[in-house]
Amino acid sequence: MPFAGIDVGSLTAQAVLIEDGRTPLLKTIGVRLLYKSISVKPNPLDSARTVMGELLDEHGLSWGDITYCVSTGYGRDKVQNEGLAQENISEISCHGTGAFSTAPRVRTIIDIGGQDAKVIRVSEAGDLDNFVMNDKCAAGTGRFLEVMSRTLGISFQDLGPLAIKARSRIELSSRCSIFAETEVLHFLQKGYDKAELAAGICKSMADRVMALVRRVGTEPEVMMTGGVAKNIAVRSELERMLGQHMLSSNIDPQIMGAYGAAVLAQRSGGGS
Amino acid sequence: MSSVTVGTAMQEVIDHSEVVENEFVKKWKEGGGKVVGYTCVFTPPEIIDAAGLFPYRIRALGNPNTEIADSHLARFNCSFCRSCLQLGLDGTYDFLDGLVESNGCDHIRGMYENWQYVKPVSFFHYVKAPHVITDDSMDYYREELRLFMKALEEHFKVEITDEALKSSMEKQEEIKERLRTIYEMREGKNPAFTGAEALSLFLLASAVPDEEFIRMADAAIEERKGSSVSGYRARLMLAGAATDELELVRAVEAVGGLVVTDALCYGLRAFYSPLDLEGDPVEAMADVYMKDMLCPRMYEEYAKRRDFILGKIEDASVDGVVVMHNKFCDVHGVDNVQIRLDLEKRNIPVLALEKEYGSRADVGRIRTRVQAFLERIGG
Repeated sequence: MPFAGIDVGSLTAQAVLIEDGRTPLLKTIGVRLLYKSISVKPNPLDSARTVMGELLDEHGLSWGDITYCVSTGYGRDKVQNEGLAQENISEISCHGTGAFSTAPRVRTIIDIGGQDAKVIRVSEAGDLDNFVMNDKCAAGTGRFLEVMSRTLGISFQDLGPLAIKARSRIELSSRCSIFAETEVLHFLQKGYDKAELAAGICKSMADRVMALVRRVGTEPEVMMTGGVAKNIAVRSELERMLGQHMLSSNIDPQIMGAYGAAVLAQRSGGGS
Repeated sequence: MSSVTVGTAMQEVIDHSEVVENEFVKKWKEGGGKVVGYTCVFTPPEIIDAAGLFPYRIRALGNPNTEIADSHLARFNCSFCRSCLQLGLDGTYDFLDGLVESNGCDHIRGMYENWQYVKPVSFFHYVKAPHVITDDSMDYYREELRLFMKALEEHFKVEITDEALKSSMEKQEEIKERLRTIYEMREGKNPAFTGAEALSLFLLASAVPDEEFIRMADAAIEERKGSSVSGYRARLMLAGAATDELELVRAVEAVGGLVVTDALCYGLRAFYSPLDLEGDPVEAMADVYMKDMLCPRMYEEYAKRRDFILGKIEDASVDGVVVMHNKFCDVHGVDNVQIRLDLEKRNIPVLALEKEYGSRADVGRIRTRVQAFLERIGG
């Protein structure tokens, strides 16, 4: 019987099922919350039901088959209150646990999600040692990359690959997402190269994240999780600034929070 | 999480503490009484009381709106000060007959001066407190208190006698004794009040007439004897900038962090130090309100603040400390770094929170951080 983790974030929702801790039988489905629509209110419960419901269906399972479920992410308490999970745990602990479970050598986790950036330090035993989170600002989060991709007229997924094709990059001077957008528009109107702008955007993102990393310090090994970990340009820029390679997890970095939740569900629910 | 049965006495306290112009203020005004507003702990309410006026400590109660205030203060001013200014300008504080400005920080000065500029009250006085404690500065501050008395006497056509001052100080001590009892009851092994409830009691003490507060506080204390809060994961201390945000404390306690004590100016810092009722009243007030204020505006008094926090951690068996400040708060923004480092050096878990005052959008972020902090300290 599987243990489950549900991570309802600001932009995507993930569901993970694990059996006996070692074999992730999993699947991720990104359910976009409704931030682009102003007429509908995002409902984390719908996201949780949909993402886990579809996952269960695909594997011929039902909600009743879940032994224990932990919810995490912004909608974590609502998901638990609705009875979809037995417990809710912060995404900070879940990302820490998830990353440590996939690579016990990891001590520092850089998690960049849709509206949060976190640097998490874990001990040799995998316990949460310390963490810092970004201030109330979209710069340095997935939202920044999304807004910038839209400004460039490309998809979010294409931003990283486009950026690494650039032979040089345009430095963005603004530290604010809103003003950076104006700045990018200005460069576009002047006919600057999109790839060079994409490189500048990813560099600016990495700069913001490094500011956070310095506050808590890094201890090797370092792993990057969250949706932005999939952006190859941000990732390589961070590696360059850190002066070290980051560990790659053997699962999709975007589901790390949900995976950590499932691992914690297994601990709470009496699994091995 | 963090729950306790709320009886009628405590409910009465909560209800009255959640409105700015409570029914007691209204009654006072209907009877022809005057109300004078102040914010900082170095404005002795005894002086206002001895003049036969109602001292009301200005609060914003988590008000998130600042649109009128933003026309006068900048976005880079502390949001607590902007929230207070908003309530001053939108009519919420129309019951005030006077304002006592203080130089607690430049943001609060901006709050007072813009308030008076846009919507003047008939009595406006500035009590200037020095930033250092020396013999000269104490002389200066005592002189400031005398000037404050004189200004009140002249404007309101009253006389502030030594007897009246002493009597007001005795009454203030009675209030402070209740607050100290309440804090002892929350700091003990089985906390009898939640942090949000203690804040409600604290807020009430400076918003209703003394005898009303004493009546309600005594009833709440009696009601809670032998009770204890259950279901919490860890005992926290809240330190840092001025906050009267009941919702913030409730959010912290909803995830299981019971706030058992604090080092806040809307809290323990305002009443921990007892007045000497025997000596000269002005000397006694100056000793407490200047020397013992524990505000980071007193740059040289850091060691005293640190030791106060360390002592309270011990007294209240605190598992972790949350130090917070509003964005753009200079004094606490700087002080909190030093406090955090000093606590970390002693292996005391500490969570530093920078927040916007009264922003509901911020509660989610705060909950996530506090919950992770509790998970980290093993609560």
